[in-house]
Amino acid sequence: MSSIDALYFLFLVTGFTVGFGHCIGMCGPIVVSLSLNLKGKSVLIPHLLYNAGRVITYAVLGGLAGILGSFTMLASSIVSLQKGVLVFAGVLVLFMGLAMAGGIPFGRIFGDGGAGSSVLSKWFGRLSAAKSPIVYLPLGLLLGLLPCGPVYTALIASARAGMGAESALEGFFSGMSLMIAFGVGTLPSLVLIGRLSSMGWIRSRPLIYKISSGLMVLAGIYFVIQGIRY
Amino acid sequence: MKNQIYDVLRTALENPMDQGVKNMLKGFWISVEKSLILVIVCLPILMNPVALWDAIAAGPTPGDVVNCDIQRGPCTQDLAGMTVTLDILPRPVRAMKDLEFRVTVSGGNPVKAAYIDLGMPGMDMGPNRVELRPVKDNVYEGEGIIVRCPSGRRTWKATVTLPESGKVEFLFDVIY
Repeated sequence: MSSIDALYFLFLVTGFTVGFGHCIGMCGPIVVSLSLNLKGKSVLIPHLLYNAGRVITYAVLGGLAGILGSFTMLASSIVSLQKGVLVFAGVLVLFMGLAMAGGIPFGRIFGDGGAGSSVLSKWFGRLSAAKSPIVYLPLGLLLGLLPCGPVYTALIASARAGMGAESALEGFFSGMSLMIAFGVGTLPSLVLIGRLSSMGWIRSRPLIYKISSGLMVLAGIYFVIQGIRY
Repeated sequence: MKNQIYDVLRTALENPMDQGVKNMLKGFWISVEKSLILVIVCLPILMNPVALWDAIAAGPTPGDVVNCDIQRGPCTQDLAGMTVTLDILPRPVRAMKDLEFRVTVSGGNPVKAAYIDLGMPGMDMGPNRVELRPVKDNVYEGEGIIVRCPSGRRTWKATVTLPESGKVEFLFDVIY
């Protein structure tokens, strides 16, 4: 196994281990929210699409880091975007939590017949009522930009791989491949969380549902605060 | 409780086809399964309020005591009869910036293939290694980056490894 192959394997394993620790804590609320939002529909395809979107974004970022050969240059150019995405993710989880609890003043926003009139509520209504799960792909593409320590670490390795490449194209593919390996490694944990949180007996227990919605509201507030402070 | 479980298992072994025992075992397993799933599902949404409290408190994780004020100057620790000094430049030491790591070893033999692993105490941030190269007698340097954790925690750990002698840990705060 060459040193580059070993690096891909290292980041595949890193993605797997980080997935069951770091990602569950930081991205878990979003994944749980998406599952609960599906309200009994099949969750596997939407979650696979969401995660595919996330991995595609990682791949593009890895490719850019590989071309630039500099992590700091890439990071400084996307920091504002990441800040916005963090706030957006917070608002997403917060609204989903509020809607689950039935505690939003303009009625339920998840397409139960009482959709609100704001742009945001219409967007959430569309997300929930979407017949095709393809809507989860762009969501994954966007949320793949969430600021995350282990993703940054993998991007540093991508930039270093690019520095050692003989051409920009080789740097792009080296960085991209490394981030794909990392992203694929994180899939099992997040798909598993998505699958488990959609199990019928959870949704059929009003108390668990209410507690979950309260925790989602807290998690959403946390994301918004962190996004503003970032 | 333990005796009840043993009784159920013994009965099941003696008469595996008994429907009542089968149902009891099934019920027991479903309860265990539900408990596990509840923990797994609630964990992510529970961990964020915990992280929120961490961010509000803005202090180091309990048990991980900062032992190096890297913002003021180099830090020194003893290792197997040697003195290991870590310096990070430029100061102030900020996350998401290109940094130069300098390790000075005194009182020992020349070091081969020394390196620094950067991480956050109590949180897996992935492998972030700074390879060090000798620049002059007993002085080793390498380039690296400390990344920013969105949780707001600022305490980082640099584990300096001298392969033939051991390792020392420097815990310090960075600026975001």
